[in-house]
Amino acid sequence: MSIVGDLIARNHERLSGFPAPLLQHYEAGLRALQPRLTASQLQIWSETGVELTSLSLRSWEAAVEYFKAGAQLPETMTWDAIENLGRESVTMAGESAPLAVSFLRSAPAALKAVGPSHVRQWADLGRRLYKGNWKSSSLAAQFYDLGPALFEVMRMSQAARLVLFIDELSRHSYELASACMASAPAVMKKLDEDDRLPFLGFAVELAQSSWADSRLYFERGAALLQKVHAPLRERFVLLSAQVARGHNRSAFQYFEEAAEALAELEPDEHNQVIELAEQLAPYSPFAAMDFVTSVPRVLTRIRVDELEPWHAAGLKILMASHDGGEAYFRLQSTRGEDILDTLSARVELSKVGEILRLYCKALTGKNLSVQTTGSLAEKGIGWVDEHRSSTEGTTIFLPELMEKYAEKDENFASMKVFATHQAAHIEFGSFEFAWDRPGNLLGNSRESYALPAGVSATTDMERFFDLFPDRQLASDLYTIVEDSRIDGAIKREYGGIRRPLGRMQAAELVNRPDVRQMPLRQAFVENLVRASLDSLDSVRWPKERAETMGQALGLLREVGVPQAIVEDAAEVTMRLYQLAIAIPNVFENADIDWDSVEPMEPGQGGQMAPGEQGGEGGSPQMGDVGEGDQEYQSPQEVDFRGDFKPELVQLLMKLKQDAQGGDAGQMSPVPLTPEQLAELLEKSVEINLDSLMEGDLDASTGMFMSNLMKEAGQQTKDQSQKGDPTTDSSTGEEPGEEPLMPIVTVYYYDEWDFRAQDYKPRWCAVKESKLEQGEEGFYENALREHAGLVAQTRKQFELMKPEMFRKIKKLPDGEDFDLDAAIEWMIERRAGANPSDKIYWRRNKIDRDVAVAFLIDMSASTDEEINKREKKYDDDDYDDDPRKYLSWWVSKRRQELTSPPKRIIDLEKESTVLLMTALETIGDQYGIYGFSGYGRDNVEFFVIKDFDEHLDQPIKNRLDKITPIRSTRMGPAIRHATHKLQLTDAKVKILFLLSDGRPQDHGYGRDRTEKEYAIHDTKQALNEAKREGITPFALTVDRAGHDYLKTMCEDMGYEVVADIESLPSRLPTLYRRLTE
Amino acid sequence: MVETATRNDPNIYAVEEYSVQVEPYYLPIADEVALFETAYKERIPVLLKGPTGAGKTRFVEYMAYRLGRPITKVSDRTGESAEHRMPLITVACHEDLTASDLVGRYLLDINGTRWVDGPLTRAVKVGAICYLDEVVEARKDTTVLIHPLTDYRRLLPIEKLGQVVEATDGFLLVISYNPGYQSALKDLKHSTRQRFIAIEFGYPPRDQEAKIIVHEAGCSLEQATDLAKLGEKVRNLREHGLGEGVSTRLLVYAGRLMASGIAPRRACQVAITWALTDDVEVQRSIEEVVTSIFE
Repeated sequence: MSIVGDLIARNHERLSGFPAPLLQHYEAGLRALQPRLTASQLQIWSETGVELTSLSLRSWEAAVEYFKAGAQLPETMTWDAIENLGRESVTMAGESAPLAVSFLRSAPAALKAVGPSHVRQWADLGRRLYKGNWKSSSLAAQFYDLGPALFEVMRMSQAARLVLFIDELSRHSYELASACMASAPAVMKKLDEDDRLPFLGFAVELAQSSWADSRLYFERGAALLQKVHAPLRERFVLLSAQVARGHNRSAFQYFEEAAEALAELEPDEHNQVIELAEQLAPYSPFAAMDFVTSVPRVLTRIRVDELEPWHAAGLKILMASHDGGEAYFRLQSTRGEDILDTLSARVELSKVGEILRLYCKALTGKNLSVQTTGSLAEKGIGWVDEHRSSTEGTTIFLPELMEKYAEKDENFASMKVFATHQAAHIEFGSFEFAWDRPGNLLGNSRESYALPAGVSATTDMERFFDLFPDRQLASDLYTIVEDSRIDGAIKREYGGIRRPLGRMQAAELVNRPDVRQMPLRQAFVENLVRASLDSLDSVRWPKERAETMGQALGLLREVGVPQAIVEDAAEVTMRLYQLAIAIPNVFENADIDWDSVEPMEPGQGGQMAPGEQGGEGGSPQMGDVGEGDQEYQSPQEVDFRGDFKPELVQLLMKLKQDAQGGDAGQMSPVPLTPEQLAELLEKSVEINLDSLMEGDLDASTGMFMSNLMKEAGQQTKDQSQKGDPTTDSSTGEEPGEEPLMPIVTVYYYDEWDFRAQDYKPRWCAVKESKLEQGEEGFYENALREHAGLVAQTRKQFELMKPEMFRKIKKLPDGEDFDLDAAIEWMIERRAGANPSDKIYWRRNKIDRDVAVAFLIDMSASTDEEINKREKKYDDDDYDDDPRKYLSWWVSKRRQELTSPPKRIIDLEKESTVLLMTALETIGDQYGIYGFSGYGRDNVEFFVIKDFDEHLDQPIKNRLDKITPIRSTRMGPAIRHATHKLQLTDAKVKILFLLSDGRPQDHGYGRDRTEKEYAIHDTKQALNEAKREGITPFALTVDRAGHDYLKTMCEDMGYEVVADIESLPSRLPTLYRRLTE
Repeated sequence: MVETATRNDPNIYAVEEYSVQVEPYYLPIADEVALFETAYKERIPVLLKGPTGAGKTRFVEYMAYRLGRPITKVSDRTGESAEHRMPLITVACHEDLTASDLVGRYLLDINGTRWVDGPLTRAVKVGAICYLDEVVEARKDTTVLIHPLTDYRRLLPIEKLGQVVEATDGFLLVISYNPGYQSALKDLKHSTRQRFIAIEFGYPPRDQEAKIIVHEAGCSLEQATDLAKLGEKVRNLREHGLGEGVSTRLLVYAGRLMASGIAPRRACQVAITWALTDDVEVQRSIEEVVTSIFE
């Protein structure tokens, strides 16, 4: 009998008590193993299986899997491994039969993948997850179940790391651990072999510090990691892990942002970035990660080679203060901003716009504004180029940034040349072309020409261009001539700009195309461009045609003299056009000789007089394009001169005039009809409607026209309303009436970060608007209610009213003798003593010159009812007797209906009313403002009464609208009130802050519970006010106010009004004491 | 004591004895010279309006010199040619200037008190031109004096002495006032201003200003023209960041620095940019205008 039969027979009895499959699998396993194992080994194998059945009630199931596995064990598995498997199974089944089932079920495939020698390690890993309860058991089972899939993609060492992670995670959440486990094979598959261990290493750290993010990490981490240059991934993950080790909740966020940032960089830049980050990590891993995250944004402002100095400066700050350095690398510090600015060679219009605006204003004497070229293109009024500078007569449009040169100064200089050229168009009257004004030099030959029949012109510029059959050519020539005139004037008037302008001209010449490659007429125009760039030597022209070119160059020279005005440029254009149109636009023979040309004096060499070329019907005409010409192409643009659109500018000016004329109700010139406008658009070569928008031409014309009209209309309003340029809603309001929508003006303020000991630049947006009007009668009611108090306060304040003059005695000099002192002087003198010569008196004028800004907290907490505390005692009244309670409730309701309970804000309002009457008595300047808001982008600042407003009915009505709104971000509100106070010219300035509690707001501190940040910022804001010579005073009705007010107002005045009801009488008293 | 000083030191004068002896340089822009001469002839008080540094004070000095020029030179008994001179008394008004500062006061003496005439009283007595510079700055009680002096009465009441002094024939009151301050408090009352004819002083046109600069600073005409141009441009910035435009005086200072060899850009920086404003942004803008004009 074979050993198999023998063993079966021997074990039959012990196994037959279990369901049939057990025996079947035993037999099958035995047979499969027989060729590989010796008899004794087979016996041990069998014994192990039998032992499994006996361990617990359901351990026979493990035995089934054990036997089943026997048939599937990988060929390479040695007896040792098989024996280990058995032993592990027994141990495991002893603890948990289902676990052993999972283990054994996956074993063949798993061991095949990972190598049979790892049996014990694998078993250990699973057991590590098993904590004796069912959740852990199923997790461990899941691990075994996934064995085959896992080992397909990872090695045992990596699996060990995975288990470490899952185990850590399972302490917090089995569900999450299980989910991560389930996704592990897929995640691992996505990762490169080398990245898996580091990836899991970070996972472990994450599980410890912010386990909730683990799922996100598992879902997205692999893809994020792929964004990092492969050889650096491990170092990157190590950096991230350091953040996690600091028990930071947002480690994953750091990781994610940094990875995304690296994705924006070139892979070969990653090394430097990571290296620099690693230098920061010992001081603060957060700073290191922030650094990585910030690099792409920083690199938009500085060059790669400047990254290191920027980093070094930050490192220095970081070494001194962690918070300072972190803010620096988060790009949230003013110091950081300054350093970036210094390092950056780039010039941003947003930074220099105001300087250039004043500069252009100085040059032209006009109120110009400066905007980006992009904003001009957006308007859709004919300008399409988003990069070239231009002007439409009232605004100068400049590129958003300039970074062409390595030096900041040079970049600024070129921006300035751009600005100067555009300003010069305005200063030297490029847009003031008048049809019937003769040129200073060349008179007026325009009128002798016949205008084409059937065209009507709206503007003089349009009429001028109507003269030319080839309008494009005329426009190009005119641009060259006029720009040449302007550049000439600039060089003459502004000696200092000659050099940078010359540099830009030279740079322009390098990029100009070769004239010899052009058809003749284009070459002619190109030569004129070159001449206009002060480079006569680069003019090349066929020798036998030299005379035409010479004449043209001579003509161009005409506009270079000081007397030349825009009409002269027009005259020159006409003559040049006649010359140009006579030149065929064909390519010259290749063998022709191109030579330089000398300009001829005008009138030299048989130059034709204007109008010589006769047209039919007596009046001369401008020539038209000849037969067989190449299609004419405009010359390449001259970059620094920008986009010159005189026709469009004149049209806009006319439209604006119409709009203005209509407003003022004066005799307005005949307004443009849409037909005229459409005609102009069709004719003009300055507007390329096709490129404006694609599609239906009619629709785009219509759109364009409405844009133009809007522009013209809006402009006039902007000019009449001299306000802050950031006013973002313009309503066509009638003077004296409140607008329907409040006008919101946005101001930006820095915020103090006490940790970094630095300001966060332009951190808070304060939105100032007038508080809307409430119902009438509030003001009067409040006065009536406190009638007694009003009379009393008024009297007190009247006493304060200063006497205009006060006699000051004992002065060394004054209006007259102080008789007493003079007599004393005489006596002492006679007595031989040395008397004091202070014997005069003088009347000194006492000016009471006080401005006060009241800042009222309109946060939601002011909604609290005042008698809430008392209510607690009331509660006891009904003694749990429902009837009593009901009657109490009813009476309370009734009371509320007849007179609603007073809230803190109501008292704040009433006190304000009282104070206002007091202030009116005494004649101090005052402003009343409320503030609230949510988050740093939305600090609402309500004007109830501005300094320059008089107390009238609308303002009284506004008082009614003071209501609790949202949070209390005090810092920016104080800064804005300070700004308002600075605008007044009073000698004594007071900032009076009326609040009901500590400052708090979303993002006003590290988290919601942190109080220090907000308090420090507020304190800093108060300090700033003090530095400006303002006396701040804080009044709070918060009983707990003492603790933080002490910090906040250290050496400033503050008071806590414990008894809120006394506020109306307390406020005026306090104010009086403050200013006496 | 004052009198003795006058005799010993040729550089010290009693207030009423000071007169302009060397012709001050003044370039007339319009008909202001003729106007003033006529006003003087008719004894109509004159109000000079204009921004600081526009040449108001210089104009008064020039006019004093002109009016003091003898029509014919008369030899006195000693045989020396005695020039008739027009005394000029200038008082810079300030916030604490009271009526008694102008009229006079008692001073203590060994033997008691002694009355001393103030500058206005002296001017009234000797028949001088009395120039009250920046008159709005002075205390309001000065109007008590100005009013009777500026109408047909031509009287100066001296309250403390109980006297009234009739103005000598040559006396004329000239005041100046800078409307640019634009402070409601510092405005001239109508009852006061309607006693004067007003001559407006603006900044001179570019060419004229350049001439003035050349004369005063001794720099080249080219530099002076550029400075005048700069002045014109910077004045465009008035209201916007600058309280007042750059005065001719400052341009002259810059010109002098240039004439002494200071680089033009630097000269403009110290004499104009920094002198005008503390606002960094406006400074920067002016600087840009400077660098555009000067190489």
